[in-house]
Amino acid sequence: MKKIIIALAGNANVGKSVIFNYLTGLHQHIGNWPGKTVERAEGTLVHEDYTIDIIDLPGIYSLSTFSIEELISREYIAKEKPDIVINVVDATNLERNLYFTLQLLELGKPMIIALNQMDLVEKKGMCIDTKKLQKILGVPVLPVIATQGKGIHDLVHKAIDLANKEQKIKKIDYGKEVEKEIKKLTKSLKKIELNYPKRFLAIKLLEGDKEIKKLVKKLDPKIIKIVDKSAKKLEDIHGHHRFTVIASERYKVANEIVEDCVTIGVCKFKFSEKLHEITTHGILGYLIMILSIISLFYIIFSFGNFFSEILVEYGMSLKSIYEQYFGTEIVSNLFWGIIEGAVAGITIILPYIFPFYFILGLLEDSGYLSRIAFLMDRFMHKIGLHGKAFIPLMLGYGCNVPACLGCRIMETRREKLIAVFVTTLIPCAAVTIIILSLVGKYVGFEWVFLLYLINLIIVFILGRVAYKVFPGEPTGLIMEMHSYRIPHLKTVIKQAWFRIREFIYIALPFIIASSFIIKVLEVTALSDIMENLMRPITIDWLGLPSFSGTALVFGIARKELSLIILATRGGTTNFSAILSPVQMIVFSLVTMLYIPCIATIAALVKEIGWKKAMFITVFEIGFAIFVGGIAFRLLIL
Amino acid sequence: MPEKPIKLIDLKQGQKGIIVSIVGGRRVTQRLTDMGLTPGTEVKMIRKGPLCPVEISVRGSNLALGHFVAKKILVKVKE
Repeated sequence: MKKIIIALAGNANVGKSVIFNYLTGLHQHIGNWPGKTVERAEGTLVHEDYTIDIIDLPGIYSLSTFSIEELISREYIAKEKPDIVINVVDATNLERNLYFTLQLLELGKPMIIALNQMDLVEKKGMCIDTKKLQKILGVPVLPVIATQGKGIHDLVHKAIDLANKEQKIKKIDYGKEVEKEIKKLTKSLKKIELNYPKRFLAIKLLEGDKEIKKLVKKLDPKIIKIVDKSAKKLEDIHGHHRFTVIASERYKVANEIVEDCVTIGVCKFKFSEKLHEITTHGILGYLIMILSIISLFYIIFSFGNFFSEILVEYGMSLKSIYEQYFGTEIVSNLFWGIIEGAVAGITIILPYIFPFYFILGLLEDSGYLSRIAFLMDRFMHKIGLHGKAFIPLMLGYGCNVPACLGCRIMETRREKLIAVFVTTLIPCAAVTIIILSLVGKYVGFEWVFLLYLINLIIVFILGRVAYKVFPGEPTGLIMEMHSYRIPHLKTVIKQAWFRIREFIYIALPFIIASSFIIKVLEVTALSDIMENLMRPITIDWLGLPSFSGTALVFGIARKELSLIILATRGGTTNFSAILSPVQMIVFSLVTMLYIPCIATIAALVKEIGWKKAMFITVFEIGFAIFVGGIAFRLLIL
Repeated sequence: MPEKPIKLIDLKQGQKGIIVSIVGGRRVTQRLTDMGLTPGTEVKMIRKGPLCPVEISVRGSNLALGHFVAKKILVKVKE
């Protein structure tokens, strides 16, 4: 067996993951790049005599150092030397994609171009001369329709073919003036031995790339002076910053290639255009957004409720079977706590979180979520974030754990911190279940609605405060608006599964462990002591019954458990007999706001470190109790 | 007579402009340049509203830009 390593590289949203999934199927490993919170997806494919390792690099627009993703990608390609780089290109947006292709070519590694979305090209009335494109770029160009699996096998064959040959990468000419300076620099870089090709180094130095500058400076500080002189010369000629000069030259080449290879005809894609217009409309767009979010919630929670009741029934029958075999003694009772935790986790995942993430994935893949990000941009700006932060916020309504991890899409550390913070204030599926079964069932739906509205207002106010506490210039929104498309089912399911997996790996162990601890406390009657200790908060400040203390404490372990504890400690599942409507509202409000759960705290620690995670936790507990007490006093007026 | 450049955000819906320069921090400039908003490039204002960001068409595809960003791009109006 021979081994080949292929790296998939390309802009965001070009179908790279679809190709990756198609090639590797279930043989995937998703981890992080060493020391970074950037996802690293690897997979293997066995084809004829070859074991092919495939690496899906992050979706990026450039190989500069704008983001960690860009840095990781170029370091990977240069240092770990994959046998072939497959550059996945969105054929409907050739110019911007070619800008990245040109940079990949600068790295001088064997390369194939996968011209994806060829079906949309046709629909848009465009025609691309792939032969000509191949000739200009000097690397194989293969048409692909990834969502239909078309052309992907050809890619593999070509990759194997190329891996056995020497591929000479053509030099793309960036114009007389720039080329002159590149040539000069390449000469002075003669003795510099880095993993990157000389031409790449020269171009990056001219651009003013800090990382490369650092590397070269260490080896020969004199070169930096030559670089400055060259770059200054270019800046003087063009009247722009050195980075802009090089980027302009690259785009000029990309533009010429497009003019040479693409002919534009009549667009047959009117429906998608119309849909885009309506869903981003200044008034209509917002109405559609609100309606679709409300119906999303309605569908998920009515379906979820129905399905979870069935699951709970099964869980209960499991308990009687268990007791038949193992009895109800202390040890077996304790052990049941573990099983109960697992069952509880499943009754949350299957009926609520999975469908929620599935539908959200459909919306994401079709392109609707980016329209929502578009509509929400100005609102999010008020809390120092931009529209894209709305996506992890939406994930938070399912489970806060994947939502926190989803905040990685934020560009700066400060933005990530604010995003993570407001995400933890979003009521997850478990909290919604509590609110629906207390307030929804016994007080009325208008109160549920009001609670969610209050929550949004609090998110806004606290987000604004966080923005003031961590000042800084917010990154403005710069987002591609792709045409709407029919979601690719396999990719959506996979995406939902990855998000659920974060819940299973991070949240489920905590749920199971805490179920066990709760059983221990129950058996040892420690809960009574705890409830007594909490009386000043529960009874005096919040006006809740004493037994709610246990429910609130264990809600930290598992939110939906507080409902079960409320029932067992109160002695009935008819909550109207043990709680007044005001108490239900106060209890729901506190549950909604105080720190989501242990699993989310773990996710916080992972993303922003111990100190900040603890600070957020303590703050939110205090804040929730404070708001709960105020609400209690207002409601009994 | 060469007209004075205006901010991209001040382009009317449907109006076209040629990018003159980007006046902003290095990060924003770099990002916009990478997205194809280089000097001399033609942009068209597709959509703007009081609540939403602006949507422009550049190099054959559409980009959404926050107000904050759209204020940093100077363009010459193309008649």
